[in-house]
Formats: sequence, C-alpha cells, structure tokens
Amino acid sequence: MKKRYFLLFLLPAFLAVFFTLPGDRADGAAQKAGVSCSSCHADLKAVVSKTHPPVTGNNLAACLQCHAPDMGGEAKKNPFSVRIHTGHIPPKGSLDCLTCHTWTPGRSFGLIGVKGSWGAPTGEDMDLLKEIYGTLAKEEFTARLHADKGVACASCHGKALPKPDDTVENARCLTCHGPLEKLAKKTEPKDFPDRNPHKSHLGEIACTVCHKAHGPSKVYCLDCHTKFQMKIPGQAK
Amino acid sequence: MIKKLPAKWDETWDVVIVGSGFAGLAAAAEAAGKGAKVVVLEKMPTYGGNSIINGGVYAAWDSKYHYRQKLNLGDDSPRQHVEDTLKGGDFYNIPELVQIMADGAADALNWMIDEGGARVRETVTRAGGHTAYRTHSAVAGVGREYTEALRKIAEKRGAKTALNSEVTWIWRKDADPKSPVLGVQVKRGRRTLNIKAAKALILASGGFSRDIKMRMAHNPRLVPAFGCTNQPGATGEMIRFAQAIGADTLQMNFIQLYPFAEPETSILDTPAVYPFNGPGYGIVYVNKLGKRFVNELERRDVCAFAQINLGANMKPTWSIFNRAMVLKMGGSYEEVDAGLKKGRFIQADSIREMAGKLGIPADALVKTIEDHNRYIEQGKDPDFNKSITKVMIPLVEGPFYSVAQWPAVHHCMGGVRISPTAQVIDVFGAVIPKLYAAGEVAGGVHGSNRLGSNAIPDAVSFGRVAGTNAARERA
Repeated sequence: MKKRYFLLFLLPAFLAVFFTLPGDRADGAAQKAGVSCSSCHADLKAVVSKTHPPVTGNNLAACLQCHAPDMGGEAKKNPFSVRIHTGHIPPKGSLDCLTCHTWTPGRSFGLIGVKGSWGAPTGEDMDLLKEIYGTLAKEEFTARLHADKGVACASCHGKALPKPDDTVENARCLTCHGPLEKLAKKTEPKDFPDRNPHKSHLGEIACTVCHKAHGPSKVYCLDCHTKFQMKIPGQAK
Repeated sequence: MIKKLPAKWDETWDVVIVGSGFAGLAAAAEAAGKGAKVVVLEKMPTYGGNSIINGGVYAAWDSKYHYRQKLNLGDDSPRQHVEDTLKGGDFYNIPELVQIMADGAADALNWMIDEGGARVRETVTRAGGHTAYRTHSAVAGVGREYTEALRKIAEKRGAKTALNSEVTWIWRKDADPKSPVLGVQVKRGRRTLNIKAAKALILASGGFSRDIKMRMAHNPRLVPAFGCTNQPGATGEMIRFAQAIGADTLQMNFIQLYPFAEPETSILDTPAVYPFNGPGYGIVYVNKLGKRFVNELERRDVCAFAQINLGANMKPTWSIFNRAMVLKMGGSYEEVDAGLKKGRFIQADSIREMAGKLGIPADALVKTIEDHNRYIEQGKDPDFNKSITKVMIPLVEGPFYSVAQWPAVHHCMGGVRISPTAQVIDVFGAVIPKLYAAGEVAGGVHGSNRLGSNAIPDAVSFGRVAGTNAARERA
C-alpha cells in the first residue's frame, strides 16, 4: 500500500517534467520556477534521517546550505550528491535531470537557484550522463561500491563533468589503492604468486582494463587463462 | 551501403600504425626517429598484441654477444638462415622478403638490446627446421622482453600509442593505382572518428588465427575444435579492409599450428616453449604408448600433424628432458620450479618413475629413452633419421622432467602482399601509394610453414623497413 501512495506522490513531478518540456529540453518551467520538494514529499521529515536537523526550505537550494555540491574532488562519507541522485533518478525514482538542473546545451550546466556552471554538456553528453547516473544505482557496479564508501563522482572524475571518452588514470586510483607494489602484495595468490592480476605479464596495464565503474567489471586474465579461479569486485551478478 | 570519404578529419598524423606488436612498435620507433609524427592504434585495452605473449625466441645468425661462436656450436650465416627458411616453407616464400628478414635479424636484435634494454640468455638453441644454433631466448621468457624494448625506443622518439582504438575502415578514394590511402576510420569508446595519415598508413595488425570463420574459409581442416595460442584480438579484419581497397593477398591457407601448446587451454605458456627449444640438446617427444612419433628436429607442421595423426584419444603427448639440458636450451631453474608447482612440469628421478607419473607403459618408455640415448652415442637415429649433434645430451642422469603438449592454431603465414620496401601491392601488381604492411599481417616471408623463432626477426626487420620508408613519404 505504501508503495502505491508513494507513486501517487510522484505523479505531479512526473507530469511537471514530462509535460512542460516539449521540444527544447533546456527551457523548462521547472527550471524557471525551481522545483519544490513538497510537491512529492508532503512530509520532508519522513524522507530525511531522524537525526537530520529540521529542513527550513522547500527546494534544493535549502539542502545546499549545508550539503555543498561535491565538486571539490575530495572523498566524503555518504556523499549528498550520490544519495540525492540515486534517490530521484531511475530505477529508484523517475525524475529527469532538469527537475533540479539548469542546462543550456553546449553552454552551461548548473543547479536551479545556485550560481555557476560546471561545464557545457551537449545533448550527446547529456544522454551519456543520464546513462552513467543510471548505472550508479546498480548495486554491483564499481561506481556504486565507491559511492557507498563515500567516494563520489568527482573523486574519480575531477571537477569537470566527464566526457564520453573519459577514463580514470591509474595514478588517480592509486592515490587511495596504491602504491601499486602494496596493492600487488595484497592480491598475490599464496599458491601461485605469479598469477597476480596486479603484476600482469602484460606489463603495467590500465586499472580500467578490468575495473569498470559503470558496467560489470571483468577479470581480463580469464579471456585467455580460462581455468584460473579469479574474482573481482563489481563483477556481473 | 556506399562509404563516403570523410568531409573532415578528427586527427592528423604523419604516420598512422595499426597494431602495437613487434612490427608496429618497430615501425613507430623508426618513423618517429626520422621526425614523423606517429600514432600507434591498438584496438585492445592493453598494448602488445600476440607479441607480448609470444615465446620470446629469436632467430639470428649472430648477435653482439656471439654466443654461437663462443659456445662452439658450429657455423651460420644470413645465407644459411635464408636457405633454412625457404626449405622450411617448401619454397613458397618470396626469396627477396626472406633475405630482408635474415639480413636484418642480427642488427634488429642488437638495436633492441642497445637502445631498448632487451636482454637475452647466454645460449643459442637449434630449433626445428633450423640447421644452425641461432635461436636466442629472451630473459623474460616471453616476447615482452622485446615489446618493452621497442615501446621504450618508440616512446623516447616521440611516438604515441592509443589503446581501445579499433580501426573500422581504411580510407582510399578508389582503387586507381595512383590513388593513395588517406587515413582510417576508428572506433574509440563511444565515438567514431576519422584519422588522417598524411605520410602513410602502416598495417601491423597481426594474423587471423582467432577468427575461426576466416581461418576455415582458407584452411577448412582448422575446425573450431582446435585451440588457439593467440590473444583474442587476432581476428584479421585489417586484411579484409585492405582487400576492400584493392590490396592483394597471398597464401592465406598456410596457417601454422604450434605443436606444443598447453593441451587444455592451448596457451603458449613458458613451459610450452621448452619442447620447442629442446631438440638441439636431445629432448625426446613421446606419446601415450611411450614411443617417439617424430624426428624432434622436424619443422612445426610436421611435429603438429605427427601428433594429430596419432589418432583419436592420443592427446596429449609429452616432451622428456633432464636438468642438464635446462640452461642450454634457454630455460631456467626458476621457470622449472614454478612449472613444477603448477603441475605443468612433472619431475621424476628415473624414466620408469616418470612413466608411472604420466600413466604410460613403463617398459616402453624406458626402451624408447634407452634407444634414443644409444642413437646419440652412435650419432645416428635409425627410427626417425634425426641429425644427431655432439651437443645433444642422453637422458641418463636425473632429475628428469616432462611437459604435456598438443598442437594449437598459432600463426598465419599468409596475408597482404608486400614489396621488399614493405609497401602493399594491389591486385593488379601495383604499389598502393602510402600503404605499408609488416609482420604477421603480411604474407610471403615464411611460405607454407614458418620456422619457429623467425616471427620476431620478420616482424622487427619489416617494421623497421616500413617505418623508415613511411617517414620518407611526402605529407
């Protein structure tokens, strides 16, 4: 029963997003007016944790008074940006980006009611961002595993919005997971020390060969060494 | 679908090289050394292709260390190397191309040692089909020794490598003999981009052993049941694109089986190189009946089909050697110990004990080895007519070792047709302007059967020729 009521609450937001954005995705009513949390969450207290201080506003700007957007690039426990996104976008929610964000294709991208722009995503970039955020909600993927540990997007991708061909360089992974020798020591099999994925006979390969943040991770070794027993966090379930 | 030439180029380089193995990196190093702006496109997420996992054996009549001469292992010359290669390929090879490989081999090896820091072991072996002790072994035990050296030289000279960059088409306006190759279409992540090759495009993309349909189209007996030693990217599409813009191919049906791959996974791991390096020092191949089945100094095709022709349920066969052979045949005790731990090598103190461990008839195996020991002593092999040399070691003293082996699809001798300048020839016999090829993607060097340890000297020598000539083209 509860679930059904929740869906009912969501309906107005749904309508607001999908019916007020004909054609030009950038010029929405929501963007001008700013979104109100209460249009879906009649009781905001019920959404936040019990220990959360009282919320004294009805839009994202109110949240941002305390939860600064995670654009600094530092790791943080349970980051607001991850929770706010996964709670509102598919599969958990069904809101469109522009419910909260401002966007002029190819020119700017920001938050309603907040000054500044974080990049200039094109329509293609935007489709990718939506897809990427969708994968964040997938519990088995590495991006989510990081988010759960308090590592948000910017910790891997830096301050700017990621581009379609972006990758994460080894050096960035190793700031937390390194140095490489130490990591290799950790994954050294007791029986056959040379079957160490972090000391590959292929030389110093990219972490992203195996570790995919936004898709299932896969042990590259197994493509040839079909009989090896190896597992990787974030692999397809 | 009609493909239209791109209206604009996303990137422009002087020399664009497809593939990051021996040939591609050698070409990159030479072209960049001549001042060209060079990019190496690699479709896989790691560099090195088959080269980085290859067995690391390198045939050259000489090197700066002169091991053959110092170890008193007889005579050799580039000419003898050419003759062996032609004979091993049943004279289907194009002699001018063989000459370039044999002449370039020693110099290319020294170049990788001096400029790239490659290291070779202090021995040379006599491998199947070779009449001289000329096969050098890499310290790394695999081709990485040379790919790392070449990568180092290429990078030092300014060449760039782009991984995850799969070529999906070669751009050429038409097949008119004067029409040059313009560039390539590349799939990189989610993007498709067009890359202009102002001076030249060099194909160094390897063979097609991993494309079962393609290999069976040319050689129907290489059915899917055969394993393959190659990396998954060896799928031959560059040959098809080259054909589509007019390139000629030759000898596509000549596809080699490596006779000694790991029987279950078909991987060419470190232990799988031992059977290849052993014959010159007296290694013995035996089957499940405890009997020899081939002259161990035979070429790869003979050794492979001697096993396959044993009949059903005769997989695997084994190589038997002893400790005294290990270092001479380019092995190391560390490798033997690691292989023993993994169960790849089996150790025994006597031949009878070895037979028990392998589950083959002990009397038969003991007789086979004793006979072979006597053949070495007498300098004559009446069973298989192997040419016995004085450095062969009889299997008298233990510990003895064995390694299981079985053939797997390994190397494509055929490919696109090239000139001695490494330029690709079209179906009418004319050079395709600004298109080069080197290494396994090109055909004609090895004829019907490549001699083992000729792949690296072929790829590096022709890579250097292609890179040097490509850099000289006009932008």
